[in-house]
Amino acid sequence: MLLRGKTAVITGSLQGIGKAALEIFARNGADIFACCQREDEQFAEYISDLSGNCGVSITPVCFDLLDEDAVREGAKFIQKSKRSIDILINIAGANFDALFHMVTMEQLKRTFAINFFSQILFTQYITRLMLKQGSGSVVNISSITALDGNPGQLSYASSKAALIAATKTMSEELAPKGIRVNALAPGVIKTAMTDAMPEDIRSRMIARSELKRVGLPDEVAGAILYLASDLSKYVTGQVIRVDGGIG
Amino acid sequence: MLLKGKNAIITGTRRGIGRAMINTFAANGANIYAHARSDSPEFIEETRLIADRYGVEIWPVFFDMRDGAAMKAFAKRIMSERRSVDVLVNNAGITHNALFHMTPEVILREQFEVNFFSMFFLTQYISKFMSKRKSGSIINIASTAGENGNPGKSAYGASKAAVIAMTKSIAAELGEYGVRANCIAPGVTETDMLSTLPSAVLEETKNGTDLRRVGLPSEIADTALFLASDLSSYITGQVIRVDGGLK
Repeated sequence: MLLRGKTAVITGSLQGIGKAALEIFARNGADIFACCQREDEQFAEYISDLSGNCGVSITPVCFDLLDEDAVREGAKFIQKSKRSIDILINIAGANFDALFHMVTMEQLKRTFAINFFSQILFTQYITRLMLKQGSGSVVNISSITALDGNPGQLSYASSKAALIAATKTMSEELAPKGIRVNALAPGVIKTAMTDAMPEDIRSRMIARSELKRVGLPDEVAGAILYLASDLSKYVTGQVIRVDGGIG
Repeated sequence: MLLKGKNAIITGTRRGIGRAMINTFAANGANIYAHARSDSPEFIEETRLIADRYGVEIWPVFFDMRDGAAMKAFAKRIMSERRSVDVLVNNAGITHNALFHMTPEVILREQFEVNFFSMFFLTQYISKFMSKRKSGSIINIASTAGENGNPGKSAYGASKAAVIAMTKSIAAELGEYGVRANCIAPGVTETDMLSTLPSAVLEETKNGTDLRRVGLPSEIADTALFLASDLSSYITGQVIRVDGGLK
């Protein structure tokens, strides 16, 4: 129960890593604002079961990261709850594959809108709430492609690299006020996003990993739990690779 | 209880970070071989109290890290006891501050003897048991001085840089056998080593961290707990800086 009594905001909680984080946070006693793109009956049912089983409150908050006004509305909804927010996990993201010369400006802007601009906007709102109590932990989910590059992932990798630079800058500005900011760089994790990867690229990346396997969403969620909890209270401004060891 | 039923070896547990690790690991259900350099009734009594409090076993083990024969005898003992070793924390270390031109050969060799060679050999012994069982987590305590340049730390920093390089190679070699190897790079931590720093340097260092303070031994122990536990099952070959955002 590493998060007992804490309140967390998780974006992209409908599937993949976000859903795994939602689950491990609930099992560790956190009350959660579960942000996702759209209402979904199945998800509502899942949330209600999970919160019942774990004895925590889970409140869905729906907004589209392409819609700045909706992002503001989502943040204001959380603000109006008058709860102190201890943790923000930015997981939502989108991927578009295209070789460098084939990347359209529209696609590049769209990727940055989802993976970067809206995350910054949302984080501005939520960390203002954290500043009031003088404590908090922000975890941004980046990617190893931001550190290593990856053919065909120019827009995605660049947007995730921007998130790393933002993480370090936010840590410099906010850690003196008690808010830690860190990033995770997952490698090949079994999600819908990597299922869509060409098979030869995926198997090449698995062969490069020292553990010789793909990671599971739960394994990224374990590292998120570490960075969200007090286990990491002297860790800030860091990027931790969760990649099975890709040299 | 992140380590329930697991067995861990921790070196250098008499004081400081190693001592904090005994508390944290025992509180999380691990049985521990607690290494210290020299035999002492107080140490035996203190570890017995911790073991009783948390309902775990703690076996005090005494040998000088430079004594190859004693280390080998310890490895043989582990083998004969047929107990699995799930976690090895190489924490024992010494430090020395001297400007580059003022560092005598004997000091340089001593830094490498204790901080690097002994860690190398102990890990050779213990990781063999882990590879056979296809699981294990090795945690080597390095230092931010192993990554950053610090005046007066040429010998110590170099020995810790060697630890980092070794850890990455171990991760690359043993990953396919299910053995993970990672480093923790503590920044300025409140231990006996800290008292070797001039106070002006200490003040400057504190202000150079995002959190504006030194770290506590328990905060390093918490990250060791994360790396020892299954929360980090997809993390290997990494250096995690627990440094409050040191620049």
